[in-house]
Amino acid sequence: MSESSKIPFNNPGWAGNTGEFDLTEAQVRGDDYVGKRPPEGGHPSGASSYPYMLADKHPDAPLFEGPYKERWEKLRTRYPNARSALLPTLGMAQELRGHLSPETLDQVAKLLDLPPAYVRGVATFYTMYNKRPVGRFLIQVCTNISCNLCGGEDVLQAFLNNTGTELGETSEDGNFTVIEAECLAGCGFPTTVQINSRYYENVTPKDVPGILERLKAQGE
Amino acid sequence: MADQQSPQTVTLTIDGMEVTVPKGTTILRAAESAGVKIPHYCYHPGLSSPAMCRLCLVEVEGWPKLAPSCKTTVADGQVVLTQSEKARSQRQGVLEFYLVNHPLDCPICDQSGECQLQDFVFAEGREHGRGREPKRVLGRDDFGGDVLFNGDRCVMCTRCVRFMREVAEDERLCVVERGSRAIIDTFFDRGLEGSPFAGNIVDICPVGALISKDFLHKARAWDLDRTPSVCPSCSQGCNIQLHTRDNLVQRLKPRENLEVNGWWMCDFGRHNYEWMNRTDRLEQPMVEGRVTDWPRALQDLLGRLREHQGDVKAVCWAHSPNEEMGLLKALVEALGGGEILYRSPRTHDEIVLPGFPLLARRKDLAPNVKGAEILGFERVGDDEARGGLGALADHAGTLLVVGDPLVELDESFGAKARLFVHMASYPSRAASNAHFVLPIPTFAEQEGTYTNVQGRVQRFWPGLRAPGNARPGWMVLGAALAELTGGGAPARADQAFSLVAEAVSAFAGITYRDMGTRGALVNEPAGVAGD
Amino acid sequence: MAYPYTHAKEVRLLSKHFGDPEARTLQGWKARGGYQALPRAFELGREKVIDEVKASGLRGRGGAGFPAGVKWSFMPKERTRPHYLLCNADESEPGTFKDRELLRWTPHQVIEGMAIAAYATGAEHAYIYCRGEFFETTQVFARAVEEAYEAGILGKDSMGSGVKIDLTVHVGAGAYICGEETGLMNSLEGRRGQPRVKPPFPAQAGYMGMPSTVNNVETLSSVPFIVTNGGEAYRAYGTPDSPGTKLFCVSGHVRRPGNYELPLGFPLMELIDDVCGGMREGRSLKGVIPGGSSVPILNAEECRDCLLSYEGVVKAGSQLGCASVIVMDDSTDIVKQVRRMVGFYAHESCGQCTPCREGSAWVEKILRRIEDGRGTEEDLDTLVEVTTQMEGTTICVLSDSVAAPVKSSINKFRGEYLARIRTGEKVGAV
Repeated sequence: MSESSKIPFNNPGWAGNTGEFDLTEAQVRGDDYVGKRPPEGGHPSGASSYPYMLADKHPDAPLFEGPYKERWEKLRTRYPNARSALLPTLGMAQELRGHLSPETLDQVAKLLDLPPAYVRGVATFYTMYNKRPVGRFLIQVCTNISCNLCGGEDVLQAFLNNTGTELGETSEDGNFTVIEAECLAGCGFPTTVQINSRYYENVTPKDVPGILERLKAQGE
Repeated sequence: MADQQSPQTVTLTIDGMEVTVPKGTTILRAAESAGVKIPHYCYHPGLSSPAMCRLCLVEVEGWPKLAPSCKTTVADGQVVLTQSEKARSQRQGVLEFYLVNHPLDCPICDQSGECQLQDFVFAEGREHGRGREPKRVLGRDDFGGDVLFNGDRCVMCTRCVRFMREVAEDERLCVVERGSRAIIDTFFDRGLEGSPFAGNIVDICPVGALISKDFLHKARAWDLDRTPSVCPSCSQGCNIQLHTRDNLVQRLKPRENLEVNGWWMCDFGRHNYEWMNRTDRLEQPMVEGRVTDWPRALQDLLGRLREHQGDVKAVCWAHSPNEEMGLLKALVEALGGGEILYRSPRTHDEIVLPGFPLLARRKDLAPNVKGAEILGFERVGDDEARGGLGALADHAGTLLVVGDPLVELDESFGAKARLFVHMASYPSRAASNAHFVLPIPTFAEQEGTYTNVQGRVQRFWPGLRAPGNARPGWMVLGAALAELTGGGAPARADQAFSLVAEAVSAFAGITYRDMGTRGALVNEPAGVAGD
Repeated sequence: MAYPYTHAKEVRLLSKHFGDPEARTLQGWKARGGYQALPRAFELGREKVIDEVKASGLRGRGGAGFPAGVKWSFMPKERTRPHYLLCNADESEPGTFKDRELLRWTPHQVIEGMAIAAYATGAEHAYIYCRGEFFETTQVFARAVEEAYEAGILGKDSMGSGVKIDLTVHVGAGAYICGEETGLMNSLEGRRGQPRVKPPFPAQAGYMGMPSTVNNVETLSSVPFIVTNGGEAYRAYGTPDSPGTKLFCVSGHVRRPGNYELPLGFPLMELIDDVCGGMREGRSLKGVIPGGSSVPILNAEECRDCLLSYEGVVKAGSQLGCASVIVMDDSTDIVKQVRRMVGFYAHESCGQCTPCREGSAWVEKILRRIEDGRGTEEDLDTLVEVTTQMEGTTICVLSDSVAAPVKSSINKFRGEYLARIRTGEKVGAV
């Protein structure tokens, strides 16, 4: 048991070790189980489920060529019509290019034979599709009620201070964009922060510099 | 009657009135048929019914929640209350929500006077708004084509988006963002240019969010007179209204007719009204180049017609109403017969409205080609309605030109004719040899009928005063005919039509009363489908 | 065992293997008794499976609490058109974090539940709609699905039964409203995730207009136990109206927040004080939101005798929802937290219905003004009236979710609002 007067436990990153469980980060995240997923998609059932927030972005990448084309064709087979493959296609376009520019939306529309205005309407409905370029690391700090009760706004401020950027803006070195997120479903591990496709749990303000260093060093 | 009720109808009570309607009817339509208007925005009879504005919610006895009347179908024995405390406070609440962000733009908003938000709030809204927070501000956005968008005023009914998607089948608009940040937009700077039906979204927008650039700040809705008419820009014959003020047409709007144009019209016809306001008009009858009055001109004309019977050539144009064309034919026959030509502009493609395919911008760009065809006139001239009158230019006999303005012809036209009568709205060089130049009104200035491409005869009414002493073409022709045959001259347009109908089997038995505001199909000759 | 803490009072039907990395592999799951329910379902046949689930009284775990067996029985018995089974893994309700654990620790349990549900409702294709933010979790789940395909559990001939069951992992893109069943279907169809008007119901016209069933992850995870052990065995836990166990997500001001699997009907205060270790040092309970932020707040007095079942929480003055217990102690600034919750709803509203679109943003603005010390007492009446105007009049119940925290907090914590309004005094710091 941890001390009674603090927020329960303090294990930034993967909430693994409370004394009841003895797990490595890879085990908690499931990285060791998943392994490295091939760019051309593994089994078609999971072809639409790749992370579409990566640090390295290629705004001019074609939609789609090579292994990505293979992956797209696989995911297309899982849907009854072109329209229902729209969200996974937008996800793949963002995975490659980093954000959905007007040109990207137009190309996705052509690929699926949908009206461009329709694609724009769908893309802007969802929060995770970036309409503008973001930094290499998109830091999303949950400030919804459970994390808020446990100091989420302090964590947000710590990220802003340590990256030297304003809310919603990208830092000078192009590395970090910090935004508020709605409930990330990590309420038992306050404060939960999502950075690109990773969750960081039990984050407190003093963990922030360490996390940023790790990002710069490891790339995720 | 209850005993006459088939299982295909439903009887319910709306605001205490018993109403019987076909099964599957929505409460809103059932109420409409009983004269009860339920306020609504997102519903439109020509579009899908998303039930999202929540304004049409009514109380149904025994139901825990209010029901969206645009979507809920009727059931036997249902008791619907549209004026109960719950229903009225629901509407009042929704109207208050609209006004939270809606700007107080009425003094500068074109929709003022024909605005459904004004109307509903005035009827049922709160007296004082409770909103004190700053409103969202979006400013004006040019959507391209003739359409301006004022985002602040938008009530997010999405009729415009759904029209483009479902009826025009050319999805140019979308809702961007979600929640209170949601607004209508185009695909970035790719707007509505090139869409031939985009003007309809201005009609169906219930507020002043979508407005016409052409009409911007031009006239106040309450200053306009609205006259039912028929669009003269092609042979589709869309039912329209002339909106006039100061004896000028300010704009055209479509009129509902489910047999012809639904609730819609094309932009080509919608924006083609400036010519109706032309001021370069023939205003007084002229005999031998000198202005005179109608009695003298008519007397002279009738005398000369009696004198110069036979060897008649005539030409009219596809803007001539049926009354004019029909009496021209009768007159020519009474004069011994002769060929009657007509000219009409035409294009090479039809532009169909995919979601309402009865409506298309037709190839013939004039309103009464069908009328001319029914009467057996011969079409001449090119796609610009020019040329083809070579045989008439040097005609030595009696030359009658009715309506056609002879734009491309010169002073040599009709120089040899022993009797040359030109009845038209506009002066022309080619009429310099005419013995009689008689001013007639445009379709906008008279009552009459056109026959559309489907064979529907449709009435139009005058929205403008004809200039000077212009008299309808049928009146002059009818007087001449009466003089030659001894019959009575028609004094009203409906009499003129009935006179024509006596001689033309396609029109036989059709009266103005039959046509009303919706028109009537012509009689097909026996053996042809549709009789 | 629930994660990251366990407690002796837990009843571990679903969560026995949380925190056990081996359990997520196919081999590991089979070794722990998995994939016995699916062959048994094939033996029983579709009708009997549905009857068993009905008999268990399993209620939907996504928040609505609608009996799952009854929902399955709405599907047409004759399959003349494709049927679909949709698993709702778009866990976005503030305070809820159970589905994530189920997906990442016991993915095969979910897969088996989905396969049984698909079979019982006549669906040959199942989709799982995973929330977009769940990248890591979804990777784990996708790998498990791959394993299931490799082992012939999914595919043309499930476990040699001749039944075809396909499963596709679909990823969302950040919209709470896609957790609403018709919003989910619209999003899966590649549209804006806006809820649809009901009727028609998903069982008549759902995904692509075809008969569909939408179930929560936890609901489907409960199915293998029921099929293996029978509906009556499930009824051995919980209460007659709320049978079975539930993963309670406890968050906020307790010493040991986390998921705990307990029988329904468990007393709320025992959960907080005993299972979760109670309040932090020197703190006292101010209020609890028992079912995720969409339900009314209970004050400390109302929590005292509250039992955590669907009917028990209604009796105490709130709803069980998805059983996400958010605990607030006396350091809480109620005004700020209610504003934050309403801000969440205003952000997530899809914007279709006028009362929700305009009302949620308006209510948030008023609350911000009060929070900044520029409110008036009239504002409190306006808030109650406006939220009442929003309730019950919209296509989905997001409007009602705005009303719940506002009305319950003004009703029960009026003093805090008044202090803020009259003197700008903040009661509570967080």
